[in-house]
Amino acid sequence: MSWAAHDLEPYAIQKHVGLKLAFVPLLIGSYSPDMMTKWFVYGIHLGPWDLKASDPAQFHRGWPGFGFTHSFIYGVAVGLIIWKLFGSKLWGVSFIVGQAAHAITDTGDTVGTMLLFPWTFHFHLDAWAYAGQTGRMTDAAAYFSGLGSMWDAVWIVYGLYSWRVLTSAYFDNYIFRADAFWPWLNRAVPRGALLTFYRAAFFYGTSRWIAWTVWAHVIHHYPYDLSWGGPHWVPAAHP
Amino acid sequence: MRLRLSFDVPTRRDLRVFGGYCLAAAVYIAIGVTWIDFLFSFWVGLAYVVITAWAVPTIVRRLV
Repeated sequence: MSWAAHDLEPYAIQKHVGLKLAFVPLLIGSYSPDMMTKWFVYGIHLGPWDLKASDPAQFHRGWPGFGFTHSFIYGVAVGLIIWKLFGSKLWGVSFIVGQAAHAITDTGDTVGTMLLFPWTFHFHLDAWAYAGQTGRMTDAAAYFSGLGSMWDAVWIVYGLYSWRVLTSAYFDNYIFRADAFWPWLNRAVPRGALLTFYRAAFFYGTSRWIAWTVWAHVIHHYPYDLSWGGPHWVPAAHP
Repeated sequence: MRLRLSFDVPTRRDLRVFGGYCLAAAVYIAIGVTWIDFLFSFWVGLAYVVITAWAVPTIVRRLV
């Protein structure tokens, strides 16, 4: 799984599409595969109950499980529903692109994704360890010690290189004009706040990447292991 | 014929805005490293950045 790439990829995509996609559904699409499942992967305490998947990797990426949320067919199905429900092809297509970016990025770990579901084959590059089954903190420590973290860093650098997509002028000329959602929201929310909304995911992804890196390597001294499939000090899950 | 390299350079205003976000990020990171739960939610991050990068500067501009 990725911790910051899903926040940052939409800005890189945006740089290349201009008015052809809408940013909000692109971002929602990028978040969508994990929206319903992440809490149950790591587990939560709810009063006297501890709720957690017995096999988090299977639940998150497998079948039976919610692994279909990381497939192209899921993105297309939800995109079509959005198109019909909101009457906006732009929103439907933007969602599909964002969701596909998430599903493809997550093929980088050792569990991978069933991109071509209902074919249940997991596409996985094994570049970094999937450690969701170890709990949130160990997963974070492992992720920010391996190549997954470096992959996030690529998106941060590319985002900074594409700094124009974050400017006020770009927001006015492309983001605001491409999607009727922004003028609609602008009736109640000032334009300055909308610009901050637009920049929020980049801010969140980048700041969180730095914070988790500091937490893992300055506060806790987890060792870096940038070898393929690492870090090898954590038990990696496989399909 | 002379070729000249040109770079897309941010304006002073762009850099000032970027500096403001960097300051907000530094505080966010400091809070997050101290209290890790702060980093978990996108909605907390969104609320934080709207308050620090838009609401506070807007209020300060009106008061000054």
